[in-house]
Amino acid sequence: MSVSKTIVISCAGMGTRLGIGSTKALIDIDGKPLIIRQLELLKDFDDIRIVVGYQMEKVIEVVNSYRKDILFVFNHNYRNTGTGGSFSLAIKHAADMVVSLDGDLLVHPEDLMRVLNSDKECVCGGIPCTEDPMLMKTLTQNGQIYGVGFSREEGEYEWTGLAQVKTSRLTPGDRHVCDMLVPLLPLPMELIRTKEIDTMSDYEHAVAWVRSGYAD
Amino acid sequence: MSGYVFLFDLDATITKAEILPEIAVKIDKQQEMRDLTERTMTGEIPFDHSFLERVKLLSEIPVSTVKEIIDKVPLNEKLVDFIRENHERCYIVTGNLDVWIEDLMKKLGMEGHYFCSKAEVKDDRIVSVDHVVDKGEVIASFAGQPFVAVGDGNNDAQMIAAAEVGIGFGGVREIAPAVLKCATHATYSEDRLCQFLKQLL
Repeated sequence: MSVSKTIVISCAGMGTRLGIGSTKALIDIDGKPLIIRQLELLKDFDDIRIVVGYQMEKVIEVVNSYRKDILFVFNHNYRNTGTGGSFSLAIKHAADMVVSLDGDLLVHPEDLMRVLNSDKECVCGGIPCTEDPMLMKTLTQNGQIYGVGFSREEGEYEWTGLAQVKTSRLTPGDRHVCDMLVPLLPLPMELIRTKEIDTMSDYEHAVAWVRSGYAD
Repeated sequence: MSGYVFLFDLDATITKAEILPEIAVKIDKQQEMRDLTERTMTGEIPFDHSFLERVKLLSEIPVSTVKEIIDKVPLNEKLVDFIRENHERCYIVTGNLDVWIEDLMKKLGMEGHYFCSKAEVKDDRIVSVDHVVDKGEVIASFAGQPFVAVGDGNNDAQMIAAAEVGIGFGGVREIAPAVLKCATHATYSEDRLCQFLKQLL
């Protein structure tokens, strides 16, 4: 890895759909909070920024108990902004390349490392599996899949929230990360295995997935 | 280059310990000092009032002795390096007294680059405090100049809220809730703080 890289984990949201009364990053996945499972994979990276809002003190406390050299970014307006709002705050004064990772996403460790160890821009898609997915429209050229658009109606792959792009190409916004990526499309797509945790049934699947050693 | 100037709190941001409690140890008044400091940091007692009380507590110690104690207070050395390397763009904003910290400011290369409270000294003793720093007034003097502010205590909140980039630093002690409420960033690691400050240059 030769380019400098900032990894942004967005943990500001409330996770209301899950009904657990805590922000989703803190949810226990087989004995460890989700945020710690993510950080365990990021031990070789030195510019990690965690965006906090809802229950910020609790998130900070849990993260601090595992690793101190984290930069917390505050999204005080988390009730009125989407992941794009959080991401926009975190990319100010960031390294050349920036990675967006949602705090409620479990990524197969091999897939996450493949993306992070590359210096190429990409958007990450998965096989659609959530109840109301944001889909990615794609096209394939010379064996490479490219993400060309986002849509609720059509697309072969589900947008996962994981992307890696050059910081200087991004324009801040307060809606969703995918809205910020639209002007950059087409971008090469990486197919990754993930479990997003929106509902109680997603949660159970995620726990089972980790317990099985990420077996499909 | 960003053009930011950098404003730093002194106690528990640049120093690895609160300075006044370090002095209180010498005259066995650490309990009274600790109580006052805690209640100030959480915002229970207004800073001005508490500061005058704390100075009163310490006024029996010769100024020269206080300076010697301050000289031995350990510093966050990487942060000190950042300040020395970028001294033209850095300022210290502290409630501490000019007559106590002047040597430390010299050591940091911050002569003429600090805002603090002011006291009158006679025969090596403080006879009166003439001015308690108002961090709000200090930031008003930077009007129109985008700045970065770093601090940890309740009395830094105003400066941190007004900053373009307001950083709560919890490397020495917990960051005050009032700071968490208005900061744009926070970190609990000196390395991480210095890395981010360099990204802000």
